[in-house]
Amino acid sequence: MKIMKKIIYILLPLLSVATIVLAWVLVAAPEESQMPGLAETGAKFIDVMTNKISGATLPIHILVSLRRVLMAVALAMVTGVVFGVLIGWSKLFKSLAYPIFEIIRPIPPIAWLPIIILSMGIGESPKIAIVFISAFMPIVINTFAGMRMIDPLLFDAAKTLGANKRQLFFNIAIPACTPAIVAGMKTSVSNGWMTVLAAEMIVARQGVGFLIVRGMQNGDPALIVVCMFAIGIVSALVSVGLTKIEGVLTKWKNA
Amino acid sequence: MEKCVTRFSLKNISKIFFKKNEDAHVIEDISLDVYDNEFLVILGPGQCGKTTLLNIVADLLPKTKGEVIFNFEEDTDPGKLGFIFQRYALFPWKTVMQNVEMGLKLRGKNKKERRVKSQEYIDMVGLQGFEKSHPKQLSGGMKQRVGIARVFATDAHVILMDEPFGALDAQTRYQMQGELSNIWEHKKKTIVFVTNNIEEAIYLADRIILLSGAPSKVKAEYNIKLSRPRSLTNNDFLELRNTIAKNTDLVL
Repeated sequence: MKIMKKIIYILLPLLSVATIVLAWVLVAAPEESQMPGLAETGAKFIDVMTNKISGATLPIHILVSLRRVLMAVALAMVTGVVFGVLIGWSKLFKSLAYPIFEIIRPIPPIAWLPIIILSMGIGESPKIAIVFISAFMPIVINTFAGMRMIDPLLFDAAKTLGANKRQLFFNIAIPACTPAIVAGMKTSVSNGWMTVLAAEMIVARQGVGFLIVRGMQNGDPALIVVCMFAIGIVSALVSVGLTKIEGVLTKWKNA
Repeated sequence: MEKCVTRFSLKNISKIFFKKNEDAHVIEDISLDVYDNEFLVILGPGQCGKTTLLNIVADLLPKTKGEVIFNFEEDTDPGKLGFIFQRYALFPWKTVMQNVEMGLKLRGKNKKERRVKSQEYIDMVGLQGFEKSHPKQLSGGMKQRVGIARVFATDAHVILMDEPFGALDAQTRYQMQGELSNIWEHKKKTIVFVTNNIEEAIYLADRIILLSGAPSKVKAEYNIKLSRPRSLTNNDFLELRNTIAKNTDLVL
């Protein structure tokens, strides 16, 4: 019985994947279908892995997009954590800066794109700028929430152990809100990945977002599907990696 | 017993929490002296302001009226007060060793000195082998052992304990009381211990200050002359328990 159950639970996921593939094949089968078939997609994959489009193969396009995300996220991490910690720690700074943040926050990053292109042109920096906007917000929000949710008892404990104000900040506040900061970082990377694709679809000469639009413009659906797979797989890998990092940084939480 | 040296005094302490609808008078005009090396238990019904009083002594809460006067030779290092919390208040991101070291670290002691001293107190509370564990991996009783070691490692003159065993199960609680009594006899510190448990008070105290219900005032004082270690079923113990129980305000 037990072995039967085990086999069933191994088979069921395979079955569901097989269903999707079958559906794909069926949709792609008719002559007039726009959907590329399995073989066509596979061939296109090998093609973009070896032959350059706009001066780069698929892995290079992926790296170009990733590089934009990582640079923007790194910048957002530094500025966002500082900003979030400051509004969480200092009432004065919060009353000064938080209202501005709350006004700007609801504007979707993509809505910034025209004004950014107008003012920064179409080089690398406008893309990084827009990804930065999308990555900055969740880091600030999470850091701020993390600061506010610190158990006041921990501050009391540190005070009775002799901590001064500076020590309360560096020895208690910062480590106590690290899990919140890391959670914010995860959201910010996935936000950044979404935004970079959108930005590249509008203005770029390289990157996965550019590639997928090229597929649309050239009437090359196989290229679109290959890019979609690439985007999904990269997202999944990045998210796995971040969860690993989170596990290391907040080991004490799940110990 | 020589109890002539006063460690610190509370003079006419009052505390009012100012709230929207009505002001809550929590403590009303409490004055008392705490003597050197005594085990003082402040006993009172739930919600009577014992914890508030302790927080005022530790300067974690402002007082409405009155004064806390300390009688220390030097006001600086080592820290004059240590605090043990009912909810342990361990730093969850630090290991047992790092938690115990925290007071010394905050005072800028070097790593070697911290290690040696902390290990001594980790051993004292019987946590050897758990130095590298995080608080989340420990039981309630073990967490409070860390809390005790953390405070003793700072060499505080006075240790304030706010219902430190209140969250523990009965079995662990008895065991911890026994060990605390033992540690206190060896290390000789001034301990001010807050509890709502009469047996715990009699088991541990040299002297019990009984508080009334809110607003709390000093209602009675008992000097406990029973020899240590004390037995919970001893006749004198039970008699004392009855006396104090009759004198305690009931609070719902």
